[in-house]
Amino acid sequence: MVRRSLRSRSLKRSQKKVPGGRTVTHYRRKKPSKAKCAKCGKPLQGVPRKRPSDLKKLSKTERRPERPYGGNLCSECMREVFRKKVRED
Amino acid sequence: MATLTVGRIAMKIAGREAGKYCTVLTAPKDNFVQVTGPKVLTGVKRRRCNIEHLEPTKYKIDIKKEDSDNVVMKALEKEGLVKKLGLKKPSPEIVKEAEKSKKSKKTKKKDEKEEPKKKKVKKEAKKKSSKTKKKTAKKKK
Ligand SMILES: [Zn+2]
Repeated sequence: MVRRSLRSRSLKRSQKKVPGGRTVTHYRRKKPSKAKCAKCGKPLQGVPRKRPSDLKKLSKTERRPERPYGGNLCSECMREVFRKKVRED
Repeated sequence: MATLTVGRIAMKIAGREAGKYCTVLTAPKDNFVQVTGPKVLTGVKRRRCNIEHLEPTKYKIDIKKEDSDNVVMKALEKEGLVKKLGLKKPSPEIVKEAEKSKKSKKTKKKDEKEEPKKKKVKKEAKKKSSKTKKKTAKKKK
């Protein structure tokens, strides 16, 4: 039985062959899915693929593109939002 | 459809200034125009801008080609566009400060030009000192 903190199913396991010939299990944290555009679902550029706690360690400018709707909409969808706004007025 | 001509109010739709209004200052040339907020009013810097990154509005103000920020600001107020576009008129203190910072930047550039001369003098002095050091070293031998 491994230690209790490693029994969590939120850990990813991989079988590795060590130089001594034994097979051991390596444990590591799962990677979250890529951030996606809220409108079209396209994967967002410039948003790091990290756990929330690791994202907090980054500066705000490293977390998302520095434009309105940055980290929520892709650039094309953001343009559409503003085009619509101008044309409605 | 409104077109991008001198005095047209447009919205920037790309980059960090996206969603902000600006005034077109020149006719398009090679896909680019000169625009300004003015910065103290809308937040758009006086800059060159790709016309694909602009969305023209139906509003237009009466200005000449490449007018200064102050003239543009007065024209915007005259047309009542500051209220229509939901902008906040900056206090006169902010406007003054922005002008001051512009001037100080210009003076700084002049200072930078003067600095290299001083450095050269220092380098020469260093060379002399290094030479004297070598001489002293030789003498020791
Ligand atoms: Zn999108």
